[in-house]
Amino acid sequence: MPQQLSPKDHALFRQVVRNFELKQYKKGIKTADQVLKKNPNHGDTEAMKALIMSHLGQSEEAFALAKEALRHDMKSHITWHVYGLLYRQEKNYEEAIKAYRFALRIEPDSGPIQRDLALLQMQMRDYQGYIQSRSAMLQARPNFRQNWTALAIAHHLSGDLEEAEKILTTFEDTLKGTPPVADMEHSEATLYKNTIIAESGDLARALEHLEKVGYRCTDVLAVMEMKADYLLRLDRKEEAAEAYTALLERNPENSVYYNGLILAKGIAESDHNALKALYDEWGDDFKQAVDAYLQRMLKKGVPSLFANIKSLYDDPAKRDTVQALVEGYVSGKAAQANGSSDSENEFLASSYYFLAQHYNYRLSRDLAKATEYADKAIALFPKSVEYQLTKARIWKHYGNPAKAAEEMEKARLLDEKDRYINSKAAKYQLRNNENDKALDLMSKFTRNETVGGAMGDLHEMQCVWYLTEDAEAYLRQKKLGLALKRIHGVYNIFDTWQEDQFDFHGFSLRKGMIRAYVDMVRWEDRLREHPFYARIATSAIKAYLLLHDEPDLVHGPITSGANGTEITDDAERKKALKKAKKEQQRLEKIEADKREARKAAAANAKSTVDGEVKKEDQDPLGNTLVQTKEPLKDVMKFLTPLLELTPKNIEAQTLGFEVYLRRGKHALALKCLSAAHAIDPSNPTLHVQLLQFRKALDSLAEPLAPQVAEVVNPEFEKLLPKSQDLTQWNESYLSANKDSASHVQAALTVRQLLDKESKAQCEKDLVASLDALKISFDDAVSGLDLLGEWGSDKTAFAEKASKKWPEASAFQLN
Amino acid sequence: MVDIVPLSSYPSYIDLLPSIQTCNITNLPENYFLKYYLYHALTWPQLSFVAVVRPKGGYSSKGAKAGDVSGHYPKVAGYVLAKMEEEPTDGMQHGHITSLSVMRTHRRLGIAERLMRMSQRAMAESHRANYVSLHVRVSNVAALHLYRDTLRFEVEKVESKYYADGEDAYAMRLNLESMWMDWKAIEARDRENAKDEDADEGEPVGELGKKDAAEDDKMVRVKVGRGLGVGDLVEKNESQQS
Repeated sequence: MPQQLSPKDHALFRQVVRNFELKQYKKGIKTADQVLKKNPNHGDTEAMKALIMSHLGQSEEAFALAKEALRHDMKSHITWHVYGLLYRQEKNYEEAIKAYRFALRIEPDSGPIQRDLALLQMQMRDYQGYIQSRSAMLQARPNFRQNWTALAIAHHLSGDLEEAEKILTTFEDTLKGTPPVADMEHSEATLYKNTIIAESGDLARALEHLEKVGYRCTDVLAVMEMKADYLLRLDRKEEAAEAYTALLERNPENSVYYNGLILAKGIAESDHNALKALYDEWGDDFKQAVDAYLQRMLKKGVPSLFANIKSLYDDPAKRDTVQALVEGYVSGKAAQANGSSDSENEFLASSYYFLAQHYNYRLSRDLAKATEYADKAIALFPKSVEYQLTKARIWKHYGNPAKAAEEMEKARLLDEKDRYINSKAAKYQLRNNENDKALDLMSKFTRNETVGGAMGDLHEMQCVWYLTEDAEAYLRQKKLGLALKRIHGVYNIFDTWQEDQFDFHGFSLRKGMIRAYVDMVRWEDRLREHPFYARIATSAIKAYLLLHDEPDLVHGPITSGANGTEITDDAERKKALKKAKKEQQRLEKIEADKREARKAAAANAKSTVDGEVKKEDQDPLGNTLVQTKEPLKDVMKFLTPLLELTPKNIEAQTLGFEVYLRRGKHALALKCLSAAHAIDPSNPTLHVQLLQFRKALDSLAEPLAPQVAEVVNPEFEKLLPKSQDLTQWNESYLSANKDSASHVQAALTVRQLLDKESKAQCEKDLVASLDALKISFDDAVSGLDLLGEWGSDKTAFAEKASKKWPEASAFQLN
Repeated sequence: MVDIVPLSSYPSYIDLLPSIQTCNITNLPENYFLKYYLYHALTWPQLSFVAVVRPKGGYSSKGAKAGDVSGHYPKVAGYVLAKMEEEPTDGMQHGHITSLSVMRTHRRLGIAERLMRMSQRAMAESHRANYVSLHVRVSNVAALHLYRDTLRFEVEKVESKYYADGEDAYAMRLNLESMWMDWKAIEARDRENAKDEDADEGEPVGELGKKDAAEDDKMVRVKVGRGLGVGDLVEKNESQQS
């Protein structure tokens, strides 16, 4: 039996509840203790105390107390409700929902419990449960519009558009007269209903409805966009053209509207004259006016001119026209530059700068010329951040990250108050694997108040670009602990972003901006489709694969032998390992000292506001992460969303293969191969993997389970038939792709896997591949890495490559 | 080439939020959690705009909608994040620019001006804003030129030590009433429609359309700057036990 409180204690209990609501946490605890002193087993008070404790960051103690509370009073909706709230805070939503359900069974009419349950159901996308909850809430309070809207959303998202529309209409029918224009909730609700009609596919009815209600919706732009879209899809071309013209009048800088207009006018993409006429009308005819435009912008000294023009370069004729024009400006002006007016100097410098960018650009690259022009521009205006920044970019393209970082640092020093150039300088330090220097630069713009210093601040401010670059730099250095630390940091930020939607399930209903809310819900469902996620997940998979293949890396990077070869000698290996361990201990010591220093500083400082304690990161070096016993299991949380949300990313598929093959999951490995094959059948990585899979099937320790074999064998037969002569298969791949270095590298790898004796020939062919027609700097670096994998001497390759890329650092072996 | 697109219209560009956040933290010292951007996008979806670098070959529409560019993730070159002042001290409905920035690589192309004009128009049309206000660092000559000379803002006052690093800010504002919609005409059309449909005139305002005051006051006012976000959006009394 639960304890009964005296009237006085009951009043105190109500005081606890109020304290909590007003965020008077410390007072609340005091009052609760007063009650518990006389009634030590009063469940509701214990529960409230637990809830307050959890808000003070004492989640473990709070949980223990909440369990105690529940034991003392199983029949109280408060104890169950609090139990659910604590689970929710721990993000254990399944358990939270269960607890809420118990609470609701005890107190079926409780609004707050019902609402908390509904919010979680939405968060968990339990649409059927959400429909039930929202129906109950509507029944309890049918006079609130948001309860109707919420039920409509529930049906809409669950896929029942008809029911959703019906509910919105039912509410509209209860309105006496039309609400005022200022009633945005009404305005939004009608547009929301309109999008539901459109989604049902009945565009004619959607358009009709829009004509009826659109004139009084204050989101004018949205109404215009909806109308244009409906008309175009209804093939009412003349009206659609009018609608897109109206949109362009409002905002001429949106190419989506041009595309709409082109479709509406039925202009074929190949009909250049018609296209030109259309763009002319909007003053966007670049080609004809390019001379005047360039001169005007160069005179104004607009630094971003090239960024705006380079999109034309897909057309080589346009590219050459621009090049000839600007080269003409400088050869004409250069002769008279010295001693002439400032404005002429500025025009000349802008032109030099433009040409430096032009020759640095992928589609018109000539790095020697780029350097020449950058230097000339800098000579005229040594204080220009942009000119100096371009110099750094040129060095990046030369393949010399150290020099690039150095030049970018010069640019930064020209404007130390500008965060953009500071960010770039930090990024270039990271590309040069200078993690500490980079962080030092970043700290000039972070607050450095959080427990973890600048790095803690970058995490808190969700600075994904930096954490990603930092991770990649550590991965290049094979510092896997720190790499994994940053990778998980970014992973957690994505979790936070997913979590962020929670408060809006209630908030948006009150604000009434339903369309934006529904768009947000749908976006959250594909959050990890973002390229930021693909990039960090790719690094994560590479890191875990490396850790699985080379478990010694848990102790930090192992230095390689002379000439860049891998260490094969056992004694030498042991020595290197010992060195790595020593280095690791040194780093741990540094971190421990830092921690001590912070502790001492914190003890001196005043206690934090409102008793909130920020937790110190116990593992700043990522040791716990890297010491995992199951890297191939840990990697799955990165791989699964990657394959699910970006299946057309071929690198995701080939990495997926590597993971699944190592895990002995042959069917899943093959699924990745098939997907990669569908994207690009001649992909170099795929070519190697096809053979690896063949070999894996041929050398199984025990045969595949019959149901697996039934899927795998016929499917793989389509990609690489068993009867296929493998040498012939590989050599024909090689001859079909002989102009591409990356394909040649793949074929040579396969050749060696088929015939160990071919190693010497492969090495020779690999050096020869440096002459391939299609070879990028990155390809050449991969070639060098490949020699490392083969355990071959890199000298010949590096010498030849350094002749081709004399400024690059990758081929300077010593 | 750069496109100016609405953050949240039809179709929605909300999947650009992480890229907008990156643009902000690359350029400016005043940074926010993603949730604060979400808060803007979901409270005043009409007011924020993004400048994106048009992808090579344009956007291929993936969805059913004609202009649906979701899933393209073009590079963000700039953005304006805007709001309505929730509790205006002068009692006047007005908009406020929370943050605006353009990547250094895309400056002086008129992008900031276009972003501002789009946002200003939306403030006037959607929210009948009397004016729009903003703060700018006194040292930021380029921004001052844009606001004062190009967009015709007026300096209202200097706010001493407005920024975390101790710099002063100009508080500026621009009247927007000239862009208001003619609500009287709309309401006249409403009456026309009502007459056509039904001779029996209803009440001018449906009581049901009004929000519940008791439910409304639960929102905590949001602070400006980095302190806001997670905790501040949470309702105070989410577990009322009574």
